[in-house]
Amino acid sequence: MRWRFLARRLAMLMGSLLVASFVIFGALYLAPGNPISALSGGRALPPASMHVLEQRYHLNQPFLTQYWYWLENALHGNLGISITLQQNVSSVIAARMWTTGGLVLYAALIIVVVGIGSGVVAALRPGLVDTSVLVSTAVTAALPSFVAAIILILVFSVKLGWFPALGNGTSFWSNVQHLTLPAVALAISSLAIVSRVTRAAVREEADREHVQTAISRGIPARQLIRRHILRNAAIPIATVSGITIASLIAVAAVVETAFSLNGLGAYLVQAAESKDLAVVQGISLVLVTAFVVINAVVDLLYAALDPRVTLGSRAQ
Amino acid sequence: MSPRRRTSAAAAASIAACACALLATACGRSVNASTTSGEVSPTHGLVTTTAAGTKPVSSVTWAVYRPVNSLDPIFAFDYPENTAISLMCESLLLQSPGGEIGPGLATVATPTPTTMVFTLKPGVTFWDGDPVTPADVVYSLDRQMDPSYGGFYGQVFNRVKSIAATGSDQVTITLKQPDYWLEGELSSMPGIIIQKSYALREGKNYGTPSGGIMCTGPYEFKSWTAGAGVTAVANPHYWNSSVRPLAKQIVIKGVPSAASFTSGMLTGAIQGSYYFGLSNLSQLEHSSAVRVYQGPGQSTDALVVSATSGPLANVKVRQAISLALDRQAIISQVYDGAALMPRWLANPGTFGYGQSVFTAAYDKSPVLNQNLAAARKLAREAGVAGQTITLGTSSELASISAETGAYQQAAEAIGLKVVLKSVSAADYINFFTSAQARKGIDGFITVNYGDYADPAALLDTLAMPGGDQNYDNFSNPQMTALLDQAEGTANPDQRAALVAKAEELAARLLPWIPNVQPTNVLMLSKGLTGAVASFSYMFAPWADHLGGTG
Repeated sequence: MRWRFLARRLAMLMGSLLVASFVIFGALYLAPGNPISALSGGRALPPASMHVLEQRYHLNQPFLTQYWYWLENALHGNLGISITLQQNVSSVIAARMWTTGGLVLYAALIIVVVGIGSGVVAALRPGLVDTSVLVSTAVTAALPSFVAAIILILVFSVKLGWFPALGNGTSFWSNVQHLTLPAVALAISSLAIVSRVTRAAVREEADREHVQTAISRGIPARQLIRRHILRNAAIPIATVSGITIASLIAVAAVVETAFSLNGLGAYLVQAAESKDLAVVQGISLVLVTAFVVINAVVDLLYAALDPRVTLGSRAQ
Repeated sequence: MSPRRRTSAAAAASIAACACALLATACGRSVNASTTSGEVSPTHGLVTTTAAGTKPVSSVTWAVYRPVNSLDPIFAFDYPENTAISLMCESLLLQSPGGEIGPGLATVATPTPTTMVFTLKPGVTFWDGDPVTPADVVYSLDRQMDPSYGGFYGQVFNRVKSIAATGSDQVTITLKQPDYWLEGELSSMPGIIIQKSYALREGKNYGTPSGGIMCTGPYEFKSWTAGAGVTAVANPHYWNSSVRPLAKQIVIKGVPSAASFTSGMLTGAIQGSYYFGLSNLSQLEHSSAVRVYQGPGQSTDALVVSATSGPLANVKVRQAISLALDRQAIISQVYDGAALMPRWLANPGTFGYGQSVFTAAYDKSPVLNQNLAAARKLAREAGVAGQTITLGTSSELASISAETGAYQQAAEAIGLKVVLKSVSAADYINFFTSAQARKGIDGFITVNYGDYADPAALLDTLAMPGGDQNYDNFSNPQMTALLDQAEGTANPDQRAALVAKAEELAARLLPWIPNVQPTNVLMLSKGLTGAVASFSYMFAPWADHLGGTG
């Protein structure tokens, strides 16, 4: 069962990649502008060098030929050459992947620990704690990450000097330091949603009959929360966490730009502006893959959390 | 007509990210007393260099508005590439911070008007210790000229017949007809000398992150992690023993967000930059962590006239709009004070030769002040009330749309109707490159500059028939004669007199309408000094004396 699930997911991934690559290639092809004139900053190039550059990057070929050329190379593991950087797209991606990966992981960790944690605490401790979680999540849910980024930089690096304002670190610890503010900026609004959903799910489970019965049978509170409330609340929590974490991949571009991080998202925006087709394709495919993989992991998690869920089963 | 200019529309696109947002408490504030906004004297209050550093510093992070794309001089067309290449590489001739052209790696003699003989200075070596040979020079220039490399500067060599090694330390350029503008180009990116054997070995990888470069300058290429920045280190064996670089390492880092740049300067994460067009400059000027200098600029902020018919094709209407334009508002709102009122189309920072001639003529020309009464009178004479002009703009580019707004106000003040055609930031460049995109557009804003300090470098491209930025087919026999004559005039003062006349003519006929003349802004962390403050940093080494303060 598990293997068939994985095989089906892999086929889905391949299908998504193929469709996405065609759509992105076509959209960029149709968009006005020309990568060569983006390269020369609008300078009128001599026709001879224009011709040389167009030939070098196969820009004078018809659309389908260009796409086929790209696809054939990609299937052989060659993602092409960046027109602006004159560098292999795979090394462009490799140089930036860890920044985006680290940023998303760090933000996911914050969402899981703080978001779920505060939601559970708020659900189980009505009163002051609950109210303050509700108020603070109401504020942060409305905070887009680019605004959060500016506020965080202003407070924690310009005024207090606790964290660096921009750039990547050089060692593991300095990387953690450099990524802290960006991860918080990225996590902050999703965190509020996860916290809210967690609170509601836990509340609902806590009011259920089997929990009331367990209480009346004198089961200790710790065991009650862990086995009877959290276990059952885990499915909606996993769903919303999975969706928000997967969406972080797309939002990361905004945060990377705000903190001048050397990540995939920020470069994707830049490459799209200069119509650097191979780079846009390469990065998009990495992002699509990551998105599909995260969703598959969430599905696997369902099965682990709830034995009644079978992998790959159709919705009833 | 050589394409001796660049367009920074792409640059504008990337810096437009609103720096004003939340960081800038001082946002939009008008000129402060310490800057020289509104001053009309060419260099009053502007500095070309800063006091030389005296102490070694271990590492300097230098910000540019986006990551460097190439270190190959044939592909260097924009601020980041020029900044990185001019830090490490040197050209045949050299522009001083004041813009004068002098000997660089070689001295030049012109025995006949169509012969240029370059003699390499003795002891000039590449970073690896190998001497620079005439073969390296010929190779570097051929590479610029040869269209099969796809370089951007081919047309600069239009009047060149041949380039050949004519001695053990000598290279001779033979011209088809006299070209006294070529010296200027050879003091810029087209004149950068690279090592032939290294470039041949690296082939297409030369100047990329995987191939690196081999040049002669005081800072030597060390590493380049795409995105993370280009790292240069002091070259201990620099051939010019009078320069001993004090910064052990300089990292050129792309910082696309102006807000991020500002906080980087304030926190010391960035130690220096020539970042331009900051609308919150005064916030940095008031910080105790940063020192801001303004030097002579060479770029011109102007309205490109692309109308071949309609009101803007009429010189009286152009004059009327120019008179109605509120340039002081542009200086304070767009440049936060870092720009001067214009008299000519040329920025006075471009007076790289014949300076006394240029300055005398410039000071006699009127400042382009606002005069609504005179503007309305001209517009009435032209009889264009109620007619419509269409301006190209991009609402995504804050500075461009602010200036287009100023034009809209000016045009409406003289009774014209204005239609704005807004495109995306990425597409703004098409106004310059595509006749299709310019169709129906009467004008659009640009910041433009030439490759060296000469007013003619820009004027040539827009006021000569066939010039590659002459979008309105401007043609004036007197202008054409003046510029043609200037290109073939050897004596600098005589050439300056001809170019000055052409500029005076351009200020009257307005082939383009000058808006303001941006100064060159240099920002350094407190404790650092010695960087060049003028726009010549784009073409010549700027960190020779960069170091710590005493």
